[in-house]
Amino acid sequence: MKVKLKSFTPVAYWHWDTRDPDDVCGICQNQFDGVCGTCKEPGDGCPLLFGKCTHEFHLHCIMQWLEQHSRKPLCPLCKRPWEEATAEKYQEETAAQQ
Amino acid sequence: MIKIWSMKKEEESAKKKKPKTSPAQLRVQKDLTELELPKTMKTHFADPNDVLNFTLTIEPDEGMYKNGSFTFTFAINTNYPHDPPKVKCTQKIYHPNVDLEGNVCLNILREDWKPVLNLNSIMVGLQYLFLEPNADDPLNKEAAEDLRRDRSVFSSNVKRSLTGGAIKGISYDRVLVK
Repeated sequence: MKVKLKSFTPVAYWHWDTRDPDDVCGICQNQFDGVCGTCKEPGDGCPLLFGKCTHEFHLHCIMQWLEQHSRKPLCPLCKRPWEEATAEKYQEETAAQQ
Repeated sequence: MIKIWSMKKEEESAKKKKPKTSPAQLRVQKDLTELELPKTMKTHFADPNDVLNFTLTIEPDEGMYKNGSFTFTFAINTNYPHDPPKVKCTQKIYHPNVDLEGNVCLNILREDWKPVLNLNSIMVGLQYLFLEPNADDPLNKEAAEDLRRDRSVFSSNVKRSLTGGAIKGISYDRVLVK
């Protein structure tokens, strides 16, 4: 049987590669795949920042906190010194934890 | 076509009239829906449209402050959750961690505040102050000294203060549950 494709509708979705896809940003309490309180466009418009302590936040949320505590930046969840993790490094660490 | 235009305009003007909800309001709204208050605590919104200002009444059902009714005002600024809410006791009470102006000494309202905390954590913290008053970090030094020296004397002082009595020349508000 020969099938002739007349048309197709591609559908794609995305989500941030976080430890728990249903988790929310601890600061604004919105979904990671959503936006921080001041943004309208999720994804690249309102990216995430990953910490070496394995905690992640919306970039805008965590930046405001880090600016307020610029002398001694700590993760607002675990209070360990805040250090930014690269995406690859972050994935390795969370994979190692599981 | 013309009808659609006018409809669109109406929609736009309706949008303009509606005040924009700030990130702080959104976050407070979330905190409020997630509140799990025991029956000893109640919130009251004088203006239901203003979620940033409200009061909380605590009526402890155990401990030295049992039968008291304590009201706190919460004032949340637009920088919430980066700034903690400003919490004050509206009554003059005898408590080591509350001064005579109603300022409250609770770590998470000051140095230990972090934006991952929420209104529930503050309210639970406030209730805890009435179950376990803390003499180590006092705002009312007299009360803290009494607590440190003799717990039972302190306890009877508390009972007296709740009925509006005076302790060491300072009179306190009557705060018994009505």
